[in-house]
Amino acid sequence: MILFGIVLLLLALLGAPLFSIIAASAMSNFYLADIDLSVVAIELYRLAEMPALIALPLFTFAGYLMGESKAPQRLVQLTDALLGWMPAGLAIVSLAACAFFTAFTGASGVTIIALGALLYPALKQAGYPENFNLGLITTSGSLGLLFAPSLPLILYGIIVQQMNLSQSVTIDDMFVAGILPGLLMLLLLIGWSLHVNRKVARPLEKFQWQKVKVAVRASAWELPMPFIVLGGIYTGFFAVSEAAAVTVLYVLIVEVFIHKEVTLIRLPDVMRDSMILVGAILVILGVSLASTNYVIDADIPTKLFNTIKEYVSSKLTFLILLNIFLLILGALLDIFSALVLMIPLLLPIAIGYGIDPVHLGIIFLANMQLGYFTPPVGMNLFIASHRFQKPVMQLYKATLPFFFILLGAVLIITYWPSLSLSLLGR
Amino acid sequence: MSDTSTQPPNRILTIIARIEDGLLVFLLSTMIFLAGMQIILRNVFSTGFTETDSLLKILVLWVGMLGAVVATRERRHISIDILSRYLSEKMRQYVEVVVDIFVVLVCILLATHSMRMLLVDFEAKTIAFSGVPTWLLESILPIAFTIISLRYLMYCWQGIGKLLKGDSST
Repeated sequence: MILFGIVLLLLALLGAPLFSIIAASAMSNFYLADIDLSVVAIELYRLAEMPALIALPLFTFAGYLMGESKAPQRLVQLTDALLGWMPAGLAIVSLAACAFFTAFTGASGVTIIALGALLYPALKQAGYPENFNLGLITTSGSLGLLFAPSLPLILYGIIVQQMNLSQSVTIDDMFVAGILPGLLMLLLLIGWSLHVNRKVARPLEKFQWQKVKVAVRASAWELPMPFIVLGGIYTGFFAVSEAAAVTVLYVLIVEVFIHKEVTLIRLPDVMRDSMILVGAILVILGVSLASTNYVIDADIPTKLFNTIKEYVSSKLTFLILLNIFLLILGALLDIFSALVLMIPLLLPIAIGYGIDPVHLGIIFLANMQLGYFTPPVGMNLFIASHRFQKPVMQLYKATLPFFFILLGAVLIITYWPSLSLSLLGR
Repeated sequence: MSDTSTQPPNRILTIIARIEDGLLVFLLSTMIFLAGMQIILRNVFSTGFTETDSLLKILVLWVGMLGAVVATRERRHISIDILSRYLSEKMRQYVEVVVDIFVVLVCILLATHSMRMLLVDFEAKTIAFSGVPTWLLESILPIAFTIISLRYLMYCWQGIGKLLKGDSST
C-alpha cells in the first residue's frame, strides 16, 4: 500500500493528470476497505448536487470574455485617471487594476496576460526599473484573490459546505472575511512601490477632471457591473449563483452587443477555452469528493489531529507549521487542486486547534496566493517569463522583495484572526 | 494539425472534436440562458421553476465533464509535472507512455463503475425530476471517461510509435 502511494506520487510528479492520481488513490483505498467502487461514480455525480457550483463555469466564462475584449484597457485608463496623480502613480494603478481584474476573473493567470501586456510597457516608459516592473506585474497576477467574487473564495465555501461541520461557513462569509486581509496586501504593496521609487524624481501628473470624464465615458457600460454584482452579493439580494449569471449576461451584452469587441463568431472559441479550465477543475473536484469520502469515513483527520497533537500542543506552533506547509504546497499545486485536496484534511485539524473555519480559509488562500510566485515552480513565474520573454531566474530575483512583503502580510493575517473575522462579528 | 488530416482516421477525429466542442458550447449557452431566465422569473414575476434549478445543476456536471474531455484533447489537464523537465528527451518519451497507460487504466475503471451505477438506476427506473430518468443524466460520466481513456490510448499509441522509429529520426 505504501509502495502504491509512492508510485502514485512519482506518477504525479512525472506529469500524470492530477485527477487520475486522486481517482486511483480513492479507488485503491475503497478496494482495500471492501467498498464497492461504484461509490466513486456516485460521488462524481454529486457535482450535479451543488447549487453554488454553477458560479464556477459562469464566472470563468465572464472572465475570459472580459479578457478578450478591451475592458482591460478601459480599466487601466480609468484607474490611471483616478489614481495616476499620486507619487508612484502608475505602480499604484497597476496594483489596483490587477487586484480588481483578478477578483473578477478568478486568478487563473488571465490577469498577467490581459493586463500585464498593457502595464509592463507603460511602466517601462514611465521610467520604473525593469526588475521592479517584472516583480510588480508577476505579483499582481494573483493579487485580488481575497476579494469577492474570486473563484477560490467560492470554491472554499462550496468545499466546506460539503463537510457538514457544526460551525457553518457560507460563501458570503468568505466574501466579507477577505476584504480587510486583501486590503492589507494591497496597501503593503503600495507602500513598497512608494518606497522603491522615492528617489526617482518624476514629475507628478496633475489630477484632471477632464481625464476622469473621458475614462468614465469610455467605460460607462462596464462601470455599473461591479456595483450591481458586489452590491447584490453584499446586500444579500443575489445568491452567488445568481450574481454569476447576472455577471455573464451583463458582460455578454456589453462586450458582444454594445462594444462589439468580441464577435459572435469568436464566442464559441471563448466558451470552449474557458470551459477547458472549468472541466479540468471540476473533474478534480469530482474525484476528490470520492477521496474525501474515504478520508472522512476512515476518520483520518481525527487520527492525524491526535498524532500532531502529541508533538504540537499550542495553536501558535500549529499555525507556524501550517504556514510553512502551505507555502510549499502552494509552490507545487495550483490553488484549485490544493483546495479540494487539502481542505477536507486540514480543516478538521485546524478546528481542533480552535481556529475558525473562515479564518482558516483566508489563511489558506493568502498562502496560496504567495504560492503563485514562489520559486521554483510558482505558475505565474512561468506565465510572466513566457509573456515578457525574460529568463525565469530573473523573475525569481525580481519577485523576491514582493514575496517577502506579502509573506509579512500572510503572517499578519495568520496571527491576527480578527483582521479576517471582525467584519463578520465572529 | 498534421499533414495527414485528410486520411479517414483523422477525419473521424476531427468530426468527434467538432461534436465535443459543439455540444460543450451548446450546453454552456443553455446554462447561461436558463440561469438568466430564472433570475428574471424570480425577481420580476416572483416565480421560477424548480425543474430549471435541477436542470442547471445537471448542466454543471455535463459542462464540466465535456470540458474535461476537451481538456484531454488539448492536453491541458492540471498536473504537477516538475520531474519530467530534468529528464532526457528519450527518457521523457518513455515516461510519457507509462503515464498515458496509467491514465488509460484509471479512466477505464472510472468508465466501468459509472456504467454500473447507470445500469442500477436504469433497472430501478429511478426518476430524477419531472419524468427524466436518472440514468440519462448520469450517462455523461461513462461517456466522458470512455472518450478520455480512448484519447489517452491514442496518445500512448503515438508515443510508442515515436519511440520505435525515434532512433533513426534523432
